[in-house]
Parts: sequence; C-alpha cells; structure tokens
Amino acid sequence: MSDEEHHFESKADAGASKTYPQQAGTIRKNGYIVIKGRPCKLKRFPGQSVFNKVVEVSTSKTGKHGHAKCHFVGIDIFNNKKLEDIVPSSHNCDVPHVNRTDFQLIDISEDGFVSLLTENGGTKDDLRLPTDENLLTQLKDGFDAGKDLVVTVMSAMGEEQICALKDIGPK
Amino acid sequence: MQGFPGVGSDLQTLQASMHAIEHACSLIQMHMNPAEVERVIGSLRSSSMPYQTCRFILEASQMASARFQAAGAIGDAAIREWALLTEENKRSLILFCLNYVMERSSAPEAYVQSKVSSVAARLLKRAWLEFSDSEKVVIFNEVKQSIVGVHGCGPQYAGIHFVELLVSEFSPSTSSAMGLPREFHEQCQSSLERNYLKEFYCWAQAAMLGLADKIMSSSGNVSEERACAGAIRLMFQILNWNFTISDKSNTKSNVLPSGIRHDTVVLKKFDRTLIKPGSAWRDTLISCGHTNWLLNFYGALREKYSYDTLWNDSPLAYSTRQLIVQLCSLAGAVFPSDNGETQIKHLLQILSAILPWVEPPDVIAASIRSGGSESELVDGCHALLSMASLTTTALFDNLLKSLRPYCTVHLLAALTCEVVKALMNNQREEETWAEESLDILLETWNVILEGIYTDRSSISKDGVYAASNLFNVIVESHLKAAADSAFEDADNSEYFHASISKRDERLASYALVARVAAESTVPFLARLFQERFSALSQGLGKSDPTRTLEELYWLLLITGHVLTDSGEGETLLIPEALQMAFPDVVEAAQHPVAMLSWSVIDFSRQCLDPAMRSAYFSPRLMEAVVWFLARWVATYLVPLDTGMGNIKPTISEGVVTNGSQPSRKVLQSFGWENNQGNIILDSAIRISLVALTVYPGENELQALTCQKLLSVLVRRKHICTRVVQLESWREIARAFANENILFSISARSQRSLAETLICAASCLKDSETSLQYLKDVIGPMTACLIENTSRTDLKSVAQQADAIYMVSCLLERLRGAVRATQPRTQKTIFEMGYAVMNPLLSLLEIYKNQSGVVYLVLKFVVDFVDAQVVFLGAKETSILVNFCMQLLQVYSSHNIGKISISLSSSLLSESQSEKYKDLRALLQLLRNMCSKDLVDFSTDAEQEDRPDIAQVVYVGLHIVTPLISLDLLKYPKLSRDYFALVSHMLEVYPEKVAQLNTDAFTHITSTLDLGLRHQDIDVVENCLAAINSLASYHFKERSLGKEGLSLRIVETQGSNGLLQASVTDHFLRLLLQLLLFEDFRTELAGSAADAFLPLILCEQELYQRLIQELLEGQSNPALKSRLASAFNSLTNSNHLSISLDRPNRQKFRKNLHHFLTEISGFVKIK
Repeated sequence: MSDEEHHFESKADAGASKTYPQQAGTIRKNGYIVIKGRPCKLKRFPGQSVFNKVVEVSTSKTGKHGHAKCHFVGIDIFNNKKLEDIVPSSHNCDVPHVNRTDFQLIDISEDGFVSLLTENGGTKDDLRLPTDENLLTQLKDGFDAGKDLVVTVMSAMGEEQICALKDIGPK
Repeated sequence: MQGFPGVGSDLQTLQASMHAIEHACSLIQMHMNPAEVERVIGSLRSSSMPYQTCRFILEASQMASARFQAAGAIGDAAIREWALLTEENKRSLILFCLNYVMERSSAPEAYVQSKVSSVAARLLKRAWLEFSDSEKVVIFNEVKQSIVGVHGCGPQYAGIHFVELLVSEFSPSTSSAMGLPREFHEQCQSSLERNYLKEFYCWAQAAMLGLADKIMSSSGNVSEERACAGAIRLMFQILNWNFTISDKSNTKSNVLPSGIRHDTVVLKKFDRTLIKPGSAWRDTLISCGHTNWLLNFYGALREKYSYDTLWNDSPLAYSTRQLIVQLCSLAGAVFPSDNGETQIKHLLQILSAILPWVEPPDVIAASIRSGGSESELVDGCHALLSMASLTTTALFDNLLKSLRPYCTVHLLAALTCEVVKALMNNQREEETWAEESLDILLETWNVILEGIYTDRSSISKDGVYAASNLFNVIVESHLKAAADSAFEDADNSEYFHASISKRDERLASYALVARVAAESTVPFLARLFQERFSALSQGLGKSDPTRTLEELYWLLLITGHVLTDSGEGETLLIPEALQMAFPDVVEAAQHPVAMLSWSVIDFSRQCLDPAMRSAYFSPRLMEAVVWFLARWVATYLVPLDTGMGNIKPTISEGVVTNGSQPSRKVLQSFGWENNQGNIILDSAIRISLVALTVYPGENELQALTCQKLLSVLVRRKHICTRVVQLESWREIARAFANENILFSISARSQRSLAETLICAASCLKDSETSLQYLKDVIGPMTACLIENTSRTDLKSVAQQADAIYMVSCLLERLRGAVRATQPRTQKTIFEMGYAVMNPLLSLLEIYKNQSGVVYLVLKFVVDFVDAQVVFLGAKETSILVNFCMQLLQVYSSHNIGKISISLSSSLLSESQSEKYKDLRALLQLLRNMCSKDLVDFSTDAEQEDRPDIAQVVYVGLHIVTPLISLDLLKYPKLSRDYFALVSHMLEVYPEKVAQLNTDAFTHITSTLDLGLRHQDIDVVENCLAAINSLASYHFKERSLGKEGLSLRIVETQGSNGLLQASVTDHFLRLLLQLLLFEDFRTELAGSAADAFLPLILCEQELYQRLIQELLEGQSNPALKSRLASAFNSLTNSNHLSISLDRPNRQKFRKNLHHFLTEISGFVKIK
C-alpha cells in the first residue's frame, strides 16, 4: 500500500477555492461551516444521538430507522448572526477556507482605514477599522502609546476582518 | 422581660429604625434598589446588640416581612455575639421567642412564626452545652404544656412546630453551622437523643391521641386537624433521626432463622433508612400497641371521609401514611429478641392495613385513570419495598399467606403488571404516578431477587409463575409501544443520555424478573425473536418493515439484558440465575440460553449480506446488534483453561445447585464448541468493519463499535490472542493504516480505534511479529505526518479545510496509540513520538491560529508524557524534556499578550474557553512530568546527566503562568489544577523556589494571594498548604543558620500603605487579616493553623507588634481584654514549643480552633 493516499489532496493552487466539501458527520463543534452562503463557526453540534435521526424527505419511510441528520447551529463569523441548518450526516457540507494572517500595524488613517505591513514589505491599506468600540479603543490607545502592535486578520470567502491584537513590542 | 440584652433606646429611635427596616422590606417586594435594601438590613444584622430594636419591630410592626427580618437579625446577632451575652441574656432571648410564637399562634403570616421558632431552636442548641438540666427543664415544661393541649389548639401547634424545628436543628444534615466545630454538633446530637427524643415522641403521641378523639367525634375542625397532622409529622421526623447510640443487638448472623434481616442498606434509594432506635423505645413504639392504634385511626378516617376524593391528599392523611410507611422500617433491638416474631407480627399488621391501598390492582389503577388519587398506591409500594428489604425472600413471599390465598410475590406481580400497562398505554400523558410506582416496585423486585442468591431462599412456584406472567406482560406492552413509536422522530437529543441510562436501569430490572422464571421466559424470548425475524424475511420487499425493525431493536435490548449483566469495568460473569436454571439440560444444542444466543447471533450475521443489510439493517438496528455482541462476547466467551469452578462464585457448593452442574458446564463452554468462538469473533470483527465503512456519518454507531465492541475484543487476553490471529483483524488493521475510508469516521472514534489496535499488539506471542504489527499500524501515520509537514508548499495548503481535517485525524490517532502504551510496546511507541517531535513543533507554528489543532497537539503531548515518562532512561528523558520546553516556548510566544476580539460576545467567550482548555492541558503536562520524580521504572544506572525534573517544571511554570490571566483563573477547573500544581511543587521542592528569579517568584506569591480569597475551598486549602511549605522551609533553613527566603522581597499591604517586606512577613499579615476580619470558613481552620504556625515562628517580633497594634485599635475595654487573653492562649496554652514537629502542629491546631470560636464574630462587629 502506498502512503500517497494519505496526502492532503488539495494542491497549492487550490488556495483560490473558497470552500471545501466535508462530510457533515465529521464536522466538529467549534469548526467552520457554510450555512446559507455565509461562513459560520459552529456553536452547537447536536445530532449525535439515536433520537435525532430523520430520514431523507424523498423516501416514504420515516421514523427511528432512518439515517442520522446533523442539526448545525452556527454563528456568522463576520456579522455575528445565528444560522441553522439540517443536513443528513453522510452528505457533504461546504467548509469555508478561513485564513488568519498577522500584519504589523503601521498607521491608522483619519478616514477609518488602517495601514498594515505585509510579509513581503508592501503595505495593505484596504482594511477598515473595526466598528466595535472596545476593539477600536484598544487599537487606537495602543497605537497612540507607541506600542508595536500586530493585528490578526481573518479572511474567508472574500471578506476580511481584524480579529485579534497582540503587543509584541517592549513594554 | 428580665435580662433581655441590649440597651433600651427611646421610643423615637426605635420607631425610626423600624420605619427604615419596613421601608427596605417594601422595596424588596417591589424589586427595587437591592443594594440599598441589603445595606439597611445588613446593618441591622451586623450591628452591635440589636435586640431591643428587633424586639420592638417584632412586637410593633404591622409588616410581616419586617418582623421576619427582625427575627433573623436576632438569631444572627446572638450567634455572633454569643460570647458577650450573659446566661440571663441568652435565656431571656429564647423565652422571648417562644412566648412570642405561643401568644401569636393564630397570626396569619405563618412564615414569621416559623422563623421566630427556628431562631429559638437555633439559640437553644447554641446554649445546649452551657445550660444546666434544670434550666432546660424550665424551658421545656412550658413547651410541653402547650403540646399536650393545655392552652388550646393554636399554642399546641406552635409548640409542636417548635420541637420539630428543634429536632431538625439537631440533625446533622439540617443543622446550621454556627461557626462551631463538628464535635459540638455531635455532642448536642447525642445528648438530645439520649435525654429528650423519646420524650418528644411521647408528647406528640399524647397530642395526637387527644386530638384524634376530637376529630373523630366532631366534624372536622380545621385547626385541630392541623395540629394533629403536625404532631404526626413530628413523630415521623423523630423516626427519621439517625439513631447513633442504642443498638446493642449482637446478632452474629445477619439473617435470623425466621427470615428477618439486619444487613439492609438498599433502602437509601428512596430516601429511607432503617430505623434502629434501640430497646429503650420498645415500650413507646411496640408494646403499647402504638402501630395498631395508628393503623386503626387511619382506617377510621378513611372510612369517615370516603365520600371525599381529595381527602387522600390532605395533610393529615399524608402525614399519617408517611408515619405508617416509616414504621415499616423499624428494626433492631426495639423488638424483643424472640427470633423476630414480634417484628413479623408488626409487619403483618401493617401489611393487612395497607392492602386496601393497593388491592385489587386493576380496580385501583382504573380508579386512578378516572381521576382518583394515587397517593395511597404510591405509599403502599413504598411500604412493600421497606418490608422486602427487611425480610428474606421466602419470608416476604409468605407474609401474605395468612391473609390471602396467594403469596406476596403474586400481589407484587399483579401490581407491577397494572403499573406497566398504565405506563405503556399512556406514554404521551403525564403519568408520573406510574413512573414513580414502577421505579419503587422494580426496586422491590431487585431486593427480593437479589435475596434469592444471597440467602439461598427461594420463591414459591406460585411466585415464579407470577414473575413469568409479569415478564410476558412487560414484553408485550413494550413491543406494542415500540411498534407504535417506530415512526416518530423524537428530537429530544438533549435528554437522551439521561434517558438511556434510565432505560437501561429499567431493562436490567426487567431482566432480573425474567431470569427468575428463565425456564419459560428464555424460550419465550427466543420464540418472539424468531417470529419477528421470519416476519421480516417473508415481507421482503413487500411491506414497510419499520414496525418490525423497532420491535427487533427492543427485543435485542431486552435479550441482551436478560443474558448478560452490564458490569461496567468488571469482568463479566454468566448470570448466576441462568447457571442455576435448566438443571436437566446436558447438551449445548438443547440449552435454551444457547439457542437464544445462536438465533440472535445468526440474525446479526445477516448484516454481512449486502442485500439484507440495505433492506433491514438500519443504523439504529445496527447499534443494537453491535451493543448486543459486545456484551455477549464479554460474558459467554469465558476462558476455557482456567477451569470451570475457579471463577464462579462459591454459592454453587450448596446441595441445591449440585444437581445442575452439567448444565453449568454446558453454559460455560457452548460458546467455544465446534470452533464457534473463533467464527463469532471473526463475525464480530467483520460486522464492526461494516459498521465503520458502510454507514457514513452514523457517529453514534461508529462510536459504539469502536468503544464497546472492538475494545471488548482486546480487553481480555484469552480472547485477544485468538483475535489477533484472524485474517479479518489483519484486514481491519490494514484498512486503518493504509486506506482512506476509515478517515471518514469521527476523529474521536479514530482515536479509540488506534488505541484498540495498538493494545492488541501485546497479545501477539512472538515479539518479532508483534513489532512488525506495531510498525505496520503506526508507520503510515507517522510517515504521513512527517511527509506532509515537510512539504514545501505546506504554508499555502495547510489552512485548507481538508488539510486541517487530515492533521486532526492523524493527531487523534497518535494520541490513541500512546494511550495504549504497555511495557512491551513502550519502546516502539516512544520511537514513534520521537519521530514526530519536530513535525509537531512546526504544526504548532503553522496552526497557531487554529485553536482546534493546537489543542490536539497539546493533548497528544500530555498523553505521551503521561504514558512514557515513568519508563524513560536519562537520555530519553532529556529528549522528552527538551521537547516539552520547546513546545511550551513556542506556545507561549504565540499567545502571550494576545487579545482576541470579536463582535460576538459568545464567540469571544468561546475563544476564552479555548485558551483555558489549552492552559489546562499545559498544566497537566507539567504535572505528568512531576510524576517522573515519584515513580520511575527505568533501569538506567547513570544518574548524573539525568535532567532535573523539578528545575524543568519550574521553568515550565515560569513560561505558563504569564499566560494565565487573573480572568482565566476564574475557571474553577483551571484554578484548581494550577493551585494543586503550585502547592505540590512548593511542598516537594521548596529549595528550588529560593533559586527562582524575582519575576517568577513574585508571580507565584501573587497568585497565592489571589488563591487565598478564592471561593473554592480546595483552592484555598492548596494555597494554605503552599504557604505552609514555604514558611516551614524558611524556618528550617534559618534554624540551620542559612538565609532561606530572607532576601525575597515582595510588596505588602502594611497598616500605613504599601511596604516592602519579606515573604513570611507578607503572608503573616495576610493570614491574620483573613482570620480575624474576613469571613473565614471554619472547615479551613486546620490548614490555616498549619500555615500560621511556621509564619509566627519565622516572624515572632512582627507577630507581637501586629497584635499590639490590633489591641490598641480596640476601644472597648471588655473586648480588648478578651482579645488579649485569646491571643495569649493561642500561643501559650497546651505547652506549645518552638518547633514544627507533628505533635506541636496538632496542639496549635487545637489552639487556633479554640481561638476562632472565642473571638470570631465580635471583632467583625462594626
């Protein structure tokens, strides 16, 4: 038997794809999933029990002897809305490609955009300041105090958002 | 009133206070301004000598809730200021409360009266050991007068209620702590039991007798009934007392020849205990015909009110039945030693009285269905349970014979039948009475059926027949219910696991009933199974099989329960009842148990046929199949070579069982006959493979397969050695190692599958084969992980969902593998771990933002260290230790100073809890490393280049602790882990602390500060232990002339602002503050003493100075002198010396205890 079969199937160029199929039954709580076209983080993952089984709608039999279904409750990672979905657990679901990248914060501009230093030395200027008050103050205060800040930018399915902040400079 | 404490104020001040309290109470009722309310009421409770004010409010206020608060304040203040009150004060407070309730016994707000009574009870208990007997007599005389009815019904009830509260105050489980040691409560308890309890009972009895006459003659005066119900409740409560003195019944055997038992413990399940008041109670309870009178009283009342259906639930009826049921549990020396005759008579009396409550069962059930009261039935069931627990099975069975033409078991069966029917027919409705009584009745069955094996007594033929009948009814009504519910999609997964264990418990009880009548029930089950099975094959493709599938599902469950015991974690044995049954069967082919087993196993095998499988084997049915096989294999494939007799319980020596010996042998061996054993094992493996591969997404089924069935196959050696020889096992191992298909089962199941497969390696006899097998299973996992992490394009593919999934699966598998470490396989597994060390570090780097993966890496390392560390030699240990340090550093560099932000508070709290789980894993890692110093199996001789574990763990702590923010320490499990580790480290390696750098040291001490004020008592205890070790170390070092910790400087809160001080200085101040001025919990006094003593010894001068300051701050001269003498005796009494040996610590513990009871409370008064 070759070990080939265990390789990650995706190739490097597949990074362009925004989602991947994955069997619903193997998706874990705290994982990501696309529900109604939105990337979500799973809050709850019931559907592991015998009682939660419902059969495909198309067949005539219903009841306890059907197949398991997963009832997903997710939270949209960008706008924080709650979304739900029910999927037969043997079917595939779309899983979003959620990327997090660290950038050093260079500047905060007047018009509400941040300027970030990319890995290859360029700048990234198209990201808005977060709307959240708390985060905004932390970001601004830290920047005004002259701290070296690294922000983590989360991106999925064509959207981006700052999701974490780290002080790497000396105190 | 004479001697009432407190200084009298003028009317205006009193009224002002009353208005303030009334105002606060009205705010409570409107739910306004809780902080203000708390302040006002709190100030009354904690003020000095508030008694006059409270008394004024109690007597003058029109507002009930204000009176309630005032009563509470009297209680709190008096307990706190106890030491300041004179004997006169105390007595007058108690008498005031008592008179108050007697005089106002008919006041409308009963809760105020009840509160005042409970304050009186509490104070009387506090004074119990101080008051002389004559003083108590004065108080109790008054109470007695009202209880026997001298002052009329109202005060009578008030008196009864007071005694009820008093008894509950004296019972250990319901007493209030009062800041006193346990010894105090114990002394009070035994004193009350010895001197008063029986007297109280007699008062209540007298009250009841007096009132009963009135009730029976007049037509229902409400207050008389209330008082009578109260008296009966009081008697019930007294019989609930946990009698400790008394029972001197020196019976050698636990069972009297007549069949009365003394060894009962099973009553606990329904909050009932045996009542053994001892011979002193005989005249009150037994010889005066008390029980008989009570039974007649209830019977007469029942007759009188037969027109009123609600009467059954009235307080009087309820409490009388409670008392009757309670009297069933009387046992021990209260009965004369006449071989149980009196007790049997007593039980018979009660039995004949309760028969109308439960008989005839069908009529009773019908009347309940049409709206009647179920209380009598439920209480009757309780009484039956109590009787069954006190008697042997044979005696219980015969009890009814003198009253009826049939035996007790017959009645029990008929009753259970009706309840089962009622329950199964009305599952939709709220039939709680049926649930409740079924639970009690099944418990009764458990008790009498277990009795068969422990006492070797037996049930009559009639009883066996009744049991068999009952089982038929059970099976039929359940099958019907199963078929009817087959089409439901019950979506209540939340309740599911609770209801599973409830269901299993019930099925296990049914199974006991079935086994008693095995001769008829086992063939009955076999027949039903065959019928359903053939119905299925006949209807092939023609009709919808769902109903039959659900019936088969239920049959599989009940068959599994009848044939096997659940035996979590024990070696399963073939149920004794089945071994004893069928004495005449000599051939395996004819043994009903074997026949039933084969028909179920044959059915299970059908799922290997794809056509059958897709037609019938739904995931749910497969779950039952897998579950059944796991239990059956564990029970019936018994080791052949250990001999038939050895593993069996010794009961088989008896004359009765000798005759069935051949059939026993048949039962022990039929599983292995004609190579059947191997075939079954082979099928089990193939069925598992089917369950894992053909049912995608059925997580529950796959979890059951991996965790139950496959793990049973490797658990015991005699099975495992056969299993590993089978081709199918090699197949499953191959599929696991090399094929993608098993990656689609849930990650957790993959972990347990890996564990199972690795476990099996130690059953391969030849070490070479074993090694090869291990390599075949482990090799591909490690190779894949290594190869993938060394890919050049790793960075770009790693974040893709499928890559993350693959990595998670591999990590789970590795984790499963290390958990299966055994001495024989340890080396290979260490090599595996060694090979993936670097890849793991790079995974940690790449996936620093994927908390799920990070957590899996950490958990793997935790388990790896746990499994391996005790075996490792010096070289390997240092490899492991270096790896762990690197891991900690990488983790810390990613996470230190990081703030997660999110719009969603729930996602934010989730990321917080992810962090918490990581940190907990890291602490576990450090703790597992500590164990190297305690347990070490390595054979290495060279000790020099062995890494210093303590040093390493401190470095680890130094890396980890900055990550633990004070917020995170609010997670109880994390803080418990952290403080347990810190206190362990300080206790075992205090000398290493001295070498820590300042930052690390400060951090540790500052977390100890925090921990001392923690809610969790374990945490505080750990912190005190840590301080104890620090201070003791310092003290010992100094007495050897070394410096110890003197150079360690921390900031501390002095009397005027912050100051720099030594550690011991700091903790001494802190502890003194805690002990004197804050709510210090008395149960911690012992550990506090242990920490306090070395601190005092280290800092004697400071200690004296602090005390001096404290005394000077106290303005009240009386308090000042008390305080001074308390401090004096703390350090000087009991010949305390300057050392830290055990006796000295014990003395100090005693002193501190005394000190705390002496001063606690009054220094806190504002």
